[in-house]
Amino acid sequence: MRRLVGTLGLLATALTLGCEEQLIAPGDCPDFCPNGQIVLVDTVFTTVITRDSAYRGYVQAYQSGAATATNQPTAQSRPYFKLDPMFLRIRSTPSDSTTVPVIADSARLRLAITRRDTTAPNLRLQIYALPQTVDTLSTFADLDPYFSGPIVDSVNVSDLRSRPLIGDTATVRAWGDSIRTDSAGHVLVISRTDATWFIYFSLDTLQAPLAEPDSGRLAYGVKVVADTAVSITLGTNESVSNGPVMEWFYHFTPKDSVNAKTDSTLRVPSLDSYVFDPPNAPIDSNLTVGGAPSARSLIRVTIPPALRDSIDVVRATLILVPVTPVNGMASDSFYVVARQVTTDLGAKSPLGNDAAGSVVIHPGVSDTVRLEITDMVRSWVLLDTLSTTAFMLSQLPEANSFTEARFYSSLTPAFRPALHVTFVRRFPFGRP
Amino acid sequence: MTTVRRLSGWAVRAAVIAVGVMVQPPNRLTAQDSQFGIQGLGTPGKQESVRSRSAGGAFAAFDASSPLMDANLADIRRLSGSITGATSWRDVAADSGQVTLRGTRFPALVIAGPILRRLSIGGGFSTYLDRSYGITTRDTLIIRGDSVPVADQITNDGGVTDVRVAAGIRVGRALAIGAGIHMLTGSSRIVAKRVFPDSGDYRPTTSRDEVAYEGFGASVSALLDVGRDLRLAGWYRNDSKLRADLGGRTVAENDLPVSYGGALLWSPGNQVVFAGSTQWHTWSVAGAGVNAHDTFNWSLGAEIGSVGSPFRLGLRGGQMPFGAHGAPTETGASAGLGRQFAGGRGRIDIGIGRLVRKDDRLTEKVWTILLGVSVRP
Repeated sequence: MRRLVGTLGLLATALTLGCEEQLIAPGDCPDFCPNGQIVLVDTVFTTVITRDSAYRGYVQAYQSGAATATNQPTAQSRPYFKLDPMFLRIRSTPSDSTTVPVIADSARLRLAITRRDTTAPNLRLQIYALPQTVDTLSTFADLDPYFSGPIVDSVNVSDLRSRPLIGDTATVRAWGDSIRTDSAGHVLVISRTDATWFIYFSLDTLQAPLAEPDSGRLAYGVKVVADTAVSITLGTNESVSNGPVMEWFYHFTPKDSVNAKTDSTLRVPSLDSYVFDPPNAPIDSNLTVGGAPSARSLIRVTIPPALRDSIDVVRATLILVPVTPVNGMASDSFYVVARQVTTDLGAKSPLGNDAAGSVVIHPGVSDTVRLEITDMVRSWVLLDTLSTTAFMLSQLPEANSFTEARFYSSLTPAFRPALHVTFVRRFPFGRP
Repeated sequence: MTTVRRLSGWAVRAAVIAVGVMVQPPNRLTAQDSQFGIQGLGTPGKQESVRSRSAGGAFAAFDASSPLMDANLADIRRLSGSITGATSWRDVAADSGQVTLRGTRFPALVIAGPILRRLSIGGGFSTYLDRSYGITTRDTLIIRGDSVPVADQITNDGGVTDVRVAAGIRVGRALAIGAGIHMLTGSSRIVAKRVFPDSGDYRPTTSRDEVAYEGFGASVSALLDVGRDLRLAGWYRNDSKLRADLGGRTVAENDLPVSYGGALLWSPGNQVVFAGSTQWHTWSVAGAGVNAHDTFNWSLGAEIGSVGSPFRLGLRGGQMPFGAHGAPTETGASAGLGRQFAGGRGRIDIGIGRLVRKDDRLTEKVWTILLGVSVRP
């Protein structure tokens, strides 16, 4: 027993002696702190951004995942789309190659509002018929006359939103969710996942004519109106799930039968885009970001020796001075993101996958824009001093809207872009 | 008749455990830290074995297991080795509050043995300067026009080790002399961190590097027996500059002190030994930039009981070399026990010590538990 107690006692002693140490204490400076301290330096480098340029044409309006519909005194923007052709004949039976004509009974058009204006009263969507000739080159001036023509259909979205929710079993089975509907048969379904509003228009054969000369193609334009200036965004086919969808309801009479069969089919746009006015100004000596086709600005940075010698960059902010406030409404705000240029090939430089920084641009505001790019700059200084010290500014979402920001470039010395860097000087290691 | 015990039982277990404890990374080969060494070159190590330290350090000049002097090596008649381990708990009371710190150190190892009838050589290492500490500070800086809280942490792990090669020779029945050369070497890993606790805009920053230290020294000493009961000791040591290198580039150079001291040992009987010692260090040569001061230290101690299992106690006092408001004082008391085993081939010493260091602004109280193992295979 004595041996056991003795051994345990020694073991406890050993463990005590071998335990972890704790040497960190609150410093009582300056008398009981090291003479060397961590020194922060905060400097605005005004001339390190050089050879900055803007380029346009990265994402076209018809390639964007959404389209802005706006109606404001200083800007108009109208989405439009051309649907895939609807078949005009159908096989009498699956096993019979003989076809019989299809008779359209009605159609249901679905539009998705992915961004809405909660402040606009009496928000209405108006559908206009457009000619089959609309294409990616159509301009606002080209299409504007058609928006003066008769309205195919119009829905008061604000009113529809205020309607009671219908959530009976039959309705949910038919629509997949609770709905709101008005007397004209418009239906509103609000997505549970992302608050997208799906608006369904019931169109008769006059509103959605299935005409043989047009091969069953239909083109529509969308105009948004409200009691005040308004701006919303509609989903496009490029968004995969939020684009316009037309469901045709038709019937046909099979050969050797007197009874008609009914069926339906879906058609999505072969083209969807938007036109706006005024058009984006041509690229000039300033740094342009946004618009459609989208513009991007390439910023090249010459890392100053002071930063190379620093031990770490704790904050780096790009300072941009707007040439003019961004045209648009408050709800048209967008991000400007900076992405690392992996190899500097000018306009076609490949970019890194992740955004190095982003900042929200608010239309109508002319304040200096500050974009935090700390991680990117510290990687240039610390990790890979041979990396390309350049980045591209682009809009997010890109080409969804006519909105674009313009900043002074290095060609305007008084307002040129600058890099505001807070860095830590090399710690005085080794000095007592 | 003396019974020679075999290496077995609790002694073996103790030795195995102690050796296991002491097998630690080399950077832990440092002595007792102190906040008073942060702004200076470090905290000077105590070149004492557990036996000496348990007696206030008074026996260090006469104890061959203590690396303080070289002449006492002459008394070693058999290859022997000893190692000292210490765990300290420090209560630091400063303006910023009270905190308890803890550290385990292995401040001394001595291996020595005779090569001729009168000549013995030895060597080993001991802590010259301990530079292990960690400091956290909080502040609020005005950056970009905003008040930004920052928290800094500077840690320094390492120290300067005194690697000694020495020889002691008995030149007569009453006189032994010794000399040694000392290579001061070591390194410290320094990590400086700053975080911005309340700001996501600022990234935390960490810089780290390793500083290497280098210096040289030489020492001479003598032991003189005056009669049968009295022994006197004197020693002198001169160290060169301590150079701090960073990546092969010298970033700091500080003069090191001349040190000298004397000690007296009195054995009035077989069961009791008294000792006293004094020592001086001219640390002020290290430079005003490190707030260095010359120091004087004294110690008194006694060892009571048989050689096989003595009881020790001691007192010490003096100054520490670095302080912004003059030389801090250091006073202490200690006690300990020893136990020989295996017929004197091994010995375990344990001790406990209490130190109080203070100056105008800071008081540091230290409890230290000591464990020493000596073997003579």
